[in-house]
Amino acid sequence: MNISMNELKATLKRCFEASGYFVGNYEDAANMVLWLEKHGLNGLNELKQALPYIGDDFDKPLSNVIYEDSTSAIIDAHHRSALNCIAAAVDLAHAKALESGIATVTVHNCHNRMFILKALTDRGRAGISAAAYWKNGSTKVSEHTAAIRSGQRYPSYSEAVANLSNNDDDKQALTIICSSRVDLTSSLQNTNSTFISPKQVEKNKQHTVEYGVEIEEDVWAEINRIGAGVLVENTERSQQDAGGR
Amino acid sequence: MTTHAAIHTSLWGENALPLRPASQVMNLERLGALHQSRLSFMRTLVRRIFRERWSIEPAIFELDKDGYGTVVYQVDAPNGTFSFVLFSDYLSPDERNDRVIATKWDLTMALVEGKVDRQYVEQLRLNVPKQEAGRVDSRVFVLSRANRSSRNFDYVVDQLAAGQQPEISKIAEVGYLYRTTAVYGSGKLGMADWEKVHSKHQDFARPFSGEMFVCLMLRNFSLLQVEHIAQHRSPESFGAMQPEIKRYFGIGNSTGLGMAPYLVNHPLLINQWVEMRELALARIRTLGTIDQQVMQTLSELIERSAQHTSETITDDDWQTQNNKVVIEDMAKLSSFIATGFSSWNEIIAHSEQHCSLQGQEMLVCVMLEMYPELVDELEDFHCADEQLDLDPLMPTTQLKDIIERRYDWALAIDFDAEGARETYWYRSEEKMEPRLGSVADIEGKKKQMALGVGYAVRKCYNHLSAYIEQHPDHTTARFMVAHPKLRGIVRRIQGMNRCIYGDIQANLLDRDVLPMHLLRCKLAFFGVSKFDPRSRLWVRNTMFQGAPLLENIGKPFNDDWFMPLAPKQ
Repeated sequence: MNISMNELKATLKRCFEASGYFVGNYEDAANMVLWLEKHGLNGLNELKQALPYIGDDFDKPLSNVIYEDSTSAIIDAHHRSALNCIAAAVDLAHAKALESGIATVTVHNCHNRMFILKALTDRGRAGISAAAYWKNGSTKVSEHTAAIRSGQRYPSYSEAVANLSNNDDDKQALTIICSSRVDLTSSLQNTNSTFISPKQVEKNKQHTVEYGVEIEEDVWAEINRIGAGVLVENTERSQQDAGGR
Repeated sequence: MTTHAAIHTSLWGENALPLRPASQVMNLERLGALHQSRLSFMRTLVRRIFRERWSIEPAIFELDKDGYGTVVYQVDAPNGTFSFVLFSDYLSPDERNDRVIATKWDLTMALVEGKVDRQYVEQLRLNVPKQEAGRVDSRVFVLSRANRSSRNFDYVVDQLAAGQQPEISKIAEVGYLYRTTAVYGSGKLGMADWEKVHSKHQDFARPFSGEMFVCLMLRNFSLLQVEHIAQHRSPESFGAMQPEIKRYFGIGNSTGLGMAPYLVNHPLLINQWVEMRELALARIRTLGTIDQQVMQTLSELIERSAQHTSETITDDDWQTQNNKVVIEDMAKLSSFIATGFSSWNEIIAHSEQHCSLQGQEMLVCVMLEMYPELVDELEDFHCADEQLDLDPLMPTTQLKDIIERRYDWALAIDFDAEGARETYWYRSEEKMEPRLGSVADIEGKKKQMALGVGYAVRKCYNHLSAYIEQHPDHTTARFMVAHPKLRGIVRRIQGMNRCIYGDIQANLLDRDVLPMHLLRCKLAFFGVSKFDPRSRLWVRNTMFQGAPLLENIGKPFNDDWFMPLAPKQ
């Protein structure tokens, strides 16, 4: 079915709010999904992978910094979804880059890392260049990288199936590089990688703005079902709370 | 024509104009005392249509003798062609309900990009009359519905059928034939997103421009429909309505709590509207010349405002009392003007000492009315990029300073006092209608919307103060990693600090909060008049009363329909 971006965003916000995301975070999470989908980077597919576990993060410890110096930091996300922790990690890389020129932040134990693209892209608008790299999968390993130049609105993104063996040490890790001095670009060395240019990302966006978002009915139903958790049962007394007309 | 750079210079820095302070302007009670002005969205829309001479003609006109059927208008504006599609259906009196939870209406409407063919109209017919229960596509960018005024509609048809005009006194009581109960845009129900409308359709690229246009078209149709029905009922005796009486008909509007969360959730946009209004006032205070002609116009407009207020009829005691005070305020201002004054600051100071907030704000609107050359160009600057960005590098000590400076009003509230956190806002499962509950309802409290900005700021401030004691040199980014739950409010504090006016200064969780002020603030920016509160949670009002008629497009245009008065009969 076809829905508007605003419908998707509003419904996702309710969905994340009902799943225990806190204020500010549920807006971020909704925007991260919408951003990917709007720019033709399969946000709804990513969300589909994340949905079964969406309520699990509520009980997990918050992310914490396990190492830090002036140009780098390591954050343990405690197996949280990037939807509720990655924005803060990018912010930290951003702040360090402004102080030191270039900075690296590594996030460990973080799921759904594709959602970093929205937070990464926001750096471009703020005058910071940013890049990210992560690997995914346990049996078939894929590599991913995205980057945006300072002052730009659209990032590049590339992915490839890597001829790599699974390494327990780097599972669910993601590296962020931010710079206020150097314009970063990234592409995978893998010759079989797909590369989506900033131009293509922009074209994808224009199509979505014109025609809206296509969503599978069961995904739409599921996020609405979860989001209904923030709605209050309608009773005669509650009708009085609306003015009692 | 002004520019963003010129506006910025007028608002910020050493050469800024003398703006009223945020502590005064963003006070909730004052925001609830605003009136329509020449910067209101209805006024700016009508100016645009008439100055650009839009062509608005019926493309399909299929109404039966009782006024039921389908009408499509083709709208040719300078930058595009649009279609206004309207379905008129029979509705029994017991099905007529103004609440958002209603499922049937007398009229349903859609504003669509481009021309529409029969097939598309049929597709719309399957969905538009269902409103929330239907789906449309991204060609549609506004959906609305309206119900007849039970007090006026049949009466006016009867009068016209009998060859008589409606009594002005009756229209003064209820100044409309239809009341719209919802106007949807911005991507609801599958419609085009605002991003598309804003980037693609320059003719409707101002906030709520499409929504206002649909209400204007509804008003036009309502006048046409009563004449159509009356003429078919009694062709021999029928007489058309006199143009000045037609012009006195507006469109009724019924607005509930849904508007209140909008103001809190779109702080940058609301700030932008307030900034333009306040900039207009500051321009006049500094640059507005005062001569005999100005004094005379001022007196006339003050008198008109008093007369308009006296013609506002409401059953609500609170509003009646407010209106009475405004009339007295206008008399005080008239007396002051008669003694003479040499600067706008004098009369503003006088109003602040002697008039109610509603009276003070009425004076502001009157002043705006008198200087179109200083005011009108600001109408092109009502849009805002609604992105609240976190500044990760900001030292936490600076963040604390900002809270102390910009949110002193929030820090001054004792949230532990009785009743200070007694109200909460929630969404009902019934069409997600926003509602206002008290702490007595545990389930609702658990699911409350995050509208208590002041309280969130206070909690943030407490955490931040403790954090700074431990880590005085940390940045906001580092604070955010330690306190991710505060991300939303920190981003808001930093974002609103980039604005002149910032957040609405009120505790929306207080037991005695009056949501009416929020509704009225937004409705005043829209340009409505005749506020008629039906409870503290919803208000009836009138849109486009006194606006020029569509048949006058292309003829000499007088933009003066501020505070319209009943025509003499």
